[in-house]
Amino acid sequence: MISIENLFFSYTGAPPYVLSGISLHIRDGEYVSFLGDNGSGKTTLMRLILKLLPPTAGSVSVRAKRIGYVPQKNDYSGAQFPITVFEALNSYRKLLKIREKSAVEKSLDRVGMASFKNSLMGELSGGQSQKILIARALLGDPDLLVLDEPSTGVDVHSQREIYACLRQLNRENGITVLSVEHNLEAAIANSTLIYHLKDGKGHLCSPEQYAEEFLNAKGSARHA
Amino acid sequence: MLNFTFMQNALLASAFIAVLCPCIGIFLVLRRQSMIGDTLAHASLAGITVGLAAGQNPIIGAFAFTSICGALIEFLRNYFKKQAELILNIILALSVGIAITVMSSGSLHASADSFMFGSILTVTKLDALLVFLLSALSVLVVVFLYHQLVYIAYDEEAAKIAGVRVRLINYVFSVLVASAISVSIRIVGVLVLSSMITLPVATALQLGQGFKKTLIFSILFSVIDIMLGLILSYYLNVAPGGFTALVSVAVLVLVLIGKRVRAGLRAAKNR
Repeated sequence: MISIENLFFSYTGAPPYVLSGISLHIRDGEYVSFLGDNGSGKTTLMRLILKLLPPTAGSVSVRAKRIGYVPQKNDYSGAQFPITVFEALNSYRKLLKIREKSAVEKSLDRVGMASFKNSLMGELSGGQSQKILIARALLGDPDLLVLDEPSTGVDVHSQREIYACLRQLNRENGITVLSVEHNLEAAIANSTLIYHLKDGKGHLCSPEQYAEEFLNAKGSARHA
Repeated sequence: MLNFTFMQNALLASAFIAVLCPCIGIFLVLRRQSMIGDTLAHASLAGITVGLAAGQNPIIGAFAFTSICGALIEFLRNYFKKQAELILNIILALSVGIAITVMSSGSLHASADSFMFGSILTVTKLDALLVFLLSALSVLVVVFLYHQLVYIAYDEEAAKIAGVRVRLINYVFSVLVASAISVSIRIVGVLVLSSMITLPVATALQLGQGFKKTLIFSILFSVIDIMLGLILSYYLNVAPGGFTALVSVAVLVLVLIGKRVRAGLRAAKNR
């Protein structure tokens, strides 16, 4: 589904590169969490996959009929915007040229937020607005879902609900999920693969492998 | 008052302006670009002076030059990505420079003063017709691009991912802003024009409604502001632009007071 070949990226077009020689292949139906320190290039890689940024060198190819995107909550300045949940989703439905009017209700139902249809987006809690953004991303039944730190600023109970929803979408509906994560526990529990980014380079491994490597690294740091 | 032809023309043109300005203003305010309105209002003065110097209709001159400046603002975003506020200073320097140079050259065939403060005496039948045509066309474009404009203002990245041609629509939007400014300038005047674009929206935002209702309330407040401003300025024999701005501020203050009183009453009820 996603094929990245020898990807280089820098915001100025010249070295130093944020991403340096990334090659990554992701098959349909995977749930991949992208981990790494702040500034390691996780969000930049997502933006390249979403074609919001052009690669400096190399290529990114995405084979998906429809991509659903859930932005990072910190970047999301829409809280003060006067818009209801229905308006936010219905306008997006129109942009996606989805004719079925009931698509909005169906999408809200999938994340258990149908009763919030007439609420203002700015009046929702962190967890509720995150679920609404997932509902928006699910409009038109995407085959690829891209999320940027879905549990940032969300309480523990809502985090559980969000990850349960993502797991269900991935395991039962076969939607490929790419999620930038800072929540290590959630990444290990839900992902089928983990892509760790460090100094502009990345490596792909299973969640079990990653947990082992992480614990070993933590153990060596304690002994040092 | 209604027996005078100039007043009929002014009221007719004002009604169109009252609908058009908030339709554009709501997107400007929510994109945090309300200062663009002020800059383009000054840019329109350059178009007016060039139009008058060329012996053409000043509204057409204002529309043409303001459209060019609106498109220039979009174009300059590529070069000043991190200093966007500088773009407005550049456009302001260019347009005020042109306006002052033309005005001081003595080549104007008429006075540009009425465009600074607004005037109801100078609105001709042709002006009213032009205002109607530009307003109707602009409102139709807003209706046609409604969902795209809402999403570019609300979440530009999501709009891009959904396939919206953000750049193109931003250019179209700058022409719409130019249109709103050029049709309003005759009555409201350059100096307070941006208040007509932003204040009714600022007032409607206080009501805490969704997008569509905020837009409807913006139009309602705009109609109240302009009509009241126009009628009262006629009886007080003052410039309509300045007085309309004062009415807009008064309506905003009244809504803020009403909001505070309502919150107080609710709190008292819950105690």
